Amino acid sequence: MIAPTNAIWGMYAKRGLREWRGTNYECRFAGISEEIGVERVATSAARTEAAGEAGHFEAAPLTADDRRALLRFMLLMRTTEERALSLYQQGKVPGSFYDGRGQEATAVGPAFALGPRDRACILHRDLGAHFVRGVTPDRVLAQMMGRAGGVTGGKDANMHFAERRLGCVQMVSMLPDMALVACGLAVAFQMRRERRAAMTWFGDGATANGQWHEAMNIAGIRRLPVVFVLENNQWAYSTPNELEFAVDPVERAPAYGFPGVKVDGNDVEAVFQAAAAACARARAGEGPTLIEAETMRMHGHGAHDDMRYVPQEMFERWQARDPIPRYEELLAGEGISVQEIRANVKEEVDRATEWALDQPMPDPSDATSGVFADADPELGDAEAPWSRWKAADA
Amino acid sequence: MPQMGVSIAEGTVVEWKKQPGDTVEADEPLLEISTDKAESELPAPAAGRLAEVLVEAGETVDVGTVLARIEAGAQDGGETSAATSGDGAAERDDDNDGGSSPVTPVVRRMAEEHDLDLAQIEGSGRRGRVTKKDVLAYLRERGEAGAEGTAVGAPAGEPKLHMESPYRETPAEAARPAAEQPAPDGRELSVMRKRIAEHMVRSVRTAAHCTTIVEADLSRIEAARGRGSYLPFVARATIDALREHPTLNATFEDELLNVQDEVHLGIAVSLGEQGLVVPVIRNAHELSHEGLATRIEDLAQRARSKRLSPDELRGGTFTITNPGAFGAVLATPIINQPQVAILDLESVVKRPVVVTDADGNDSVAIRPMAYLCMSWDHRVLDGVLAAQFLSTLKRRIEAWPPSHRWDSRGGTVPGL
Amino acid sequence: MPELTYLQAISDGLREEMRADESVFCLGEDVGAFGGAFKITEGFIDEFGPERVWDTPLAESGIIGTAVGAAVEGLRPVCEMQFADFISCGFDQLVNVAAKLHYRQGLSVPVTVRLPSGGGFSGGPFHSQNPEAWFLQSPGLKVVAPATAEDAKGLIAAAIRDPNPVLYMEHKHLYRRAKGEVRDGRYETPIGKARLARQGDDLTVIAYGAMVLTALEATEDLDGASIEVLDLRSLYPYDREAVLDSVRKTSKVVLVQEATRSCGVAAEMAALIAEEAFENLDGPVLRVTAPDVPIPFSPPLERAVLPQIEDVRKACHELLAY
Repeated sequence: MIAPTNAIWGMYAKRGLREWRGTNYECRFAGISEEIGVERVATSAARTEAAGEAGHFEAAPLTADDRRALLRFMLLMRTTEERALSLYQQGKVPGSFYDGRGQEATAVGPAFALGPRDRACILHRDLGAHFVRGVTPDRVLAQMMGRAGGVTGGKDANMHFAERRLGCVQMVSMLPDMALVACGLAVAFQMRRERRAAMTWFGDGATANGQWHEAMNIAGIRRLPVVFVLENNQWAYSTPNELEFAVDPVERAPAYGFPGVKVDGNDVEAVFQAAAAACARARAGEGPTLIEAETMRMHGHGAHDDMRYVPQEMFERWQARDPIPRYEELLAGEGISVQEIRANVKEEVDRATEWALDQPMPDPSDATSGVFADADPELGDAEAPWSRWKAADA
Repeated sequence: MPQMGVSIAEGTVVEWKKQPGDTVEADEPLLEISTDKAESELPAPAAGRLAEVLVEAGETVDVGTVLARIEAGAQDGGETSAATSGDGAAERDDDNDGGSSPVTPVVRRMAEEHDLDLAQIEGSGRRGRVTKKDVLAYLRERGEAGAEGTAVGAPAGEPKLHMESPYRETPAEAARPAAEQPAPDGRELSVMRKRIAEHMVRSVRTAAHCTTIVEADLSRIEAARGRGSYLPFVARATIDALREHPTLNATFEDELLNVQDEVHLGIAVSLGEQGLVVPVIRNAHELSHEGLATRIEDLAQRARSKRLSPDELRGGTFTITNPGAFGAVLATPIINQPQVAILDLESVVKRPVVVTDADGNDSVAIRPMAYLCMSWDHRVLDGVLAAQFLSTLKRRIEAWPPSHRWDSRGGTVPGL
Repeated sequence: MPELTYLQAISDGLREEMRADESVFCLGEDVGAFGGAFKITEGFIDEFGPERVWDTPLAESGIIGTAVGAAVEGLRPVCEMQFADFISCGFDQLVNVAAKLHYRQGLSVPVTVRLPSGGGFSGGPFHSQNPEAWFLQSPGLKVVAPATAEDAKGLIAAAIRDPNPVLYMEHKHLYRRAKGEVRDGRYETPIGKARLARQGDDLTVIAYGAMVLTALEATEDLDGASIEVLDLRSLYPYDREAVLDSVRKTSKVVLVQEATRSCGVAAEMAALIAEEAFENLDGPVLRVTAPDVPIPFSPPLERAVLPQIEDVRKACHELLAY
C-alpha cells in the first residue's frame, strides 16, 4: 500500500477513524509513482497485447459478431448523421447541426466496453455511443427535428439528448461539466462498493477549462471508477491544439495520480481495448484512466462552419485514415461480409427517417412542464452488446 | 386667498355665503373677505358642491392659502378642486392635479362597491386622504358589513406547528373571494365568531354543565388594589384554591381525566363585537398577583391587537372570565373545553351586608361584593366538590393577602 | 421539547436524515475532520465515517458537479458551500446542469446545497452576501430560507427529501440568535409555504431569513398599530396565496430583505402584489433592502448598508400614515 500523502488521511489514521476500505479493493492514495506513466500505443495489436499482460483483469476478446457490431454502430452513426445533415439542409432541423464525422471509432469503441450497469455521459460527436447503449436512429432523427417523439421531446437540441432508461446522463453545452457528473456517478459506485464504471467524453478544448482540472483532481484523490475519454480531434472550433494547451493533456494524467493512455482514435479496436482495460481497472478499484484518442473532426464545428482554417494537407492526411473504410478492410480480411451490414444500416436509417418525419411537433403547452420533479431519479441499464456481457455476469 | 393687490400679503375671511354641502354655480358669490385695502366678495371658481371649508370666518390667512374645496361635478367621489381665485397664487398642496390626494385602488373599489361618495367621508390619511380604514369606519357607522373579509381570529382547536397559509381554514372558505358581500337579508358570522359558536355548542353538548355561585367580600382586595383591577387578585386566590382542590385543575378528554399540578390559567379577553379569545398564562402558579397582573395586561393587549402566538392559546387547565364592570352580577358561563370548570367573576357592587364582629354582634356594613359564578362539568365533579372549592376561594379572597409565603415553585402552604 | 439554536437545529435535522437514510451524505470543504466552518457537521465524521462526510478539495464546481452525478445514481448529497458567496464558483454546475436536467431529460437531481449567507459581522464583500436572487432566475432550482430553529430543522429535512435541487439559505446571523423549541425526531416543513410570524390588521411586513427577526423586533411596539409579519420561508416556490391574502387583509405592505435592492425577492413580491392585489392596496408597496453596493467591512459602513430595525420602523410609519 502506498503511504497516504494526504495529510488529513494521516490525521484520520492517528485518530483511529475507520479507514475507508472496500471488499474488492483497498483505498490507496497515491503520490506520483514511476508505475504510473503514459502509454503510447501505436497499433491495436500492441494494445491488446499490453492489455493481456496488465494483470488480474481479463483481456478483451472480440468475437466475429462483436466486430460486425462495431462496424454496424460506426456505419449507423455515419449514415444517420449524413441523413440528419440532409434534413438540416432541407430546413427540417431547426437551430444548429453538429456531427462527429471521422470520429466514429472514438464514439463506438469506448462505449462498446461498457457493461449494462455502467453509466455514460456522452458528448455531441459521439452519436455512435448512444447507438451502442441502445438508442435507435428513429428517435435520434426525431430529436434533431424537434419532434414530440424525439428523445427530449423538443426540450433540447441536436445532440443534447440522452436516454436515462439506458443509463445515460444528458450533456450540457458547457464543457466539460459532464466530467464532474461522471465523477459523481463514480462516487455512488464507490460508496456502494459496486463494480461499475462511469465513462465520459470530452474534447481537446475542454481540457483547458477549470472544471476539467477539478474532475481529474477529484477522480485522482478518491481513485474513482471513472474513465475519461479525451477525443483529441485536433480542433476546438477553429482553435488548434497548440493554442489550447502547452502540454499534451495525456501527459497530465500522472500528475493527477493515474495513468494516461494515448491511442489511435481512428482504430476502433485500439480505442475499444484501451477503454476495456480502463473499465476493468475502474471496476477493480484501481481508479481512473485518461484515454486520449487521437482523431480528426472531418466536418466543421457545426454545419455553419466551412473549416477554412484547416490546412488542406492535414485534411487529406486524416481522410486517408477514415475509421470506417479501415475497419471494413480489416473485417473483409477476416472474411466478414461488409455489404450486408451496410445494406441493413441503410434500410434501418431509411425506416427511421420515415418514422421521424411522421412525428408531430410538440404541443406548446409542454413548454412549461417538467421543470420540477416529483419522484426520485431512475437511471436504467443499457443494452451492452459486447458478447462478454452475455457470457459472464455483469 | 387671492392677492388683491401687489403689496397684499394676507386676507381675512369675513363671512361664508355658502355652507359645506351646498351647491354652487360658477361665479356665484361664495364668501366675503377683507384685506388692508378693501372688502370683497369672492365668486366660486367652478360649479359643483362646496365640499369643505378650510378657513373659518374671522380667520386671517396668507395669500395663496386654500380656503375651501368644491367638488366639481357629481359623478365620482374624490375629485375636488381648491376654491382659490385664479391669480397664479401658490397652492398649499403639492399635488399636480388641483390638490386632491390620490384615491388608492382599494378605496376606489370599496367606493364603487358600496356606492359611496368619498367627499362625504373624512380622510385621516396624509393630505386628508380617505383611507381604507376611514371607509370601513364609515361603513360600520352606516351599519353595513365591511367589504373586506374580516380578520381571521384565533386559530381553532389544535394549531398546526407550522402555520401554513393561515387564511385557508377550509376548502369552502378558500372558494370565497375576499370581497364577498353578506346575504342581503341576514349577516353571516365572521370566521372568529363561527369558531366561537362551534366551540360553545360543542362544549354545551359535551359537558354536563352546572353552575354554582358564591358571594365574596372584596374589601381587602379593594384596599390592596389601588387603581388596578380585581382580576389579578382573584386569579391568585383562584390558583391557591386550585392547589387545595386539584380536581378542578384538570382537563377531560377522550374519557381520560388529566388532573394537573401546574396551573395554566386561561383569561378570557373580549375583542368587542368580533368575539373573544382565551390566552393562557402558562405556569401561572409561579406568579404573584403582581406578576399575574402584568401578564394579563400583556396578553389582553396582544389579544386585541391580534399578536398572540398559537402556543399562547392552548394548554390551559382552568379559565377565568371577568366580563367587566358593566353591572351584570350573575352569569352561567360555558366551560372552555377540554377543561372541567370555568370561573366567572361578575361585577363588584357595593351592597349592604351583615357582618359579625369578634364578639358575635351583627351589624350592617357596606361592602364591595361580587358573585363568583363557576360552571363545572358534572361528569367528573359533583356539587359538593364545586361548593368546597368555591368556599375555599371565597375564604382566600376575603382573607387577602395570603398569609403563607409563596415561593417561585408556586408551592403554597394553606395557611388559613 | 428541547430548545435549540438555529445552528443546532440544522445539525439535528441533517443528522436525523443521515441516520434514517444511508444514501444521504455530506460533502464540502472542511466538513469532516473540522466539523464544518460553522460546526454544523461537528461530530458527524465520527458517527458516519469519512465517506459520508467527505472533505472535498477546494473546488465548488467539483462539489456541485460530483453531487449531481451521485444524485442521479440514487444518492442524496448535501453540499456545503463554506460561504454562500462561493456558490459563484459552482454556478455553472448548479444552473446549467442541476437545474435543467429534469426539464430536458426527465432525470431528477435530488441535491441539497447549504449556503451560509448574510452579513453583520464585518465579513466584508465576499463573506456577507445574500445571493438567493441569482437562483430565482434559474428555473429548476428551489430556494428556501428558514428564519426559526423549528423551520431550520424542518426545511433541511424537506430539502433533502425533495427530488429537486434545493438551495438552503442558512443565515449566519441566526445561527445563535434564533432559538426555539424544536421537536425531536424527523419532521419536514413544507417547501412553498409561508409562516405567519405575527397576525395583524393594519400593515403587513413580508420578510425572510434574518430579516424576520428584525421585522418582529421593529414592529413589536409601533404606536399600538397591529402589524402582521409574514415569514416567507420559501423563496422559490413561494407562497403566493399567503402573500396575497395578507395584502388583501391589511392593504399595506412593507417588504424587507437583507439582500441588495435590485431584482431581489422583494422586487418579485412587489410585482406580484401589484399584478394580483392592486385593488386591495391602500398605499404604495415599500421595500426595505440593502442598497446596490458590495457589503463593506468596517462596522459603521456595514451598518449603514444592511437594513436595521430603524429602517423597518421608518417604512412602517410612513406607510401607516399614508
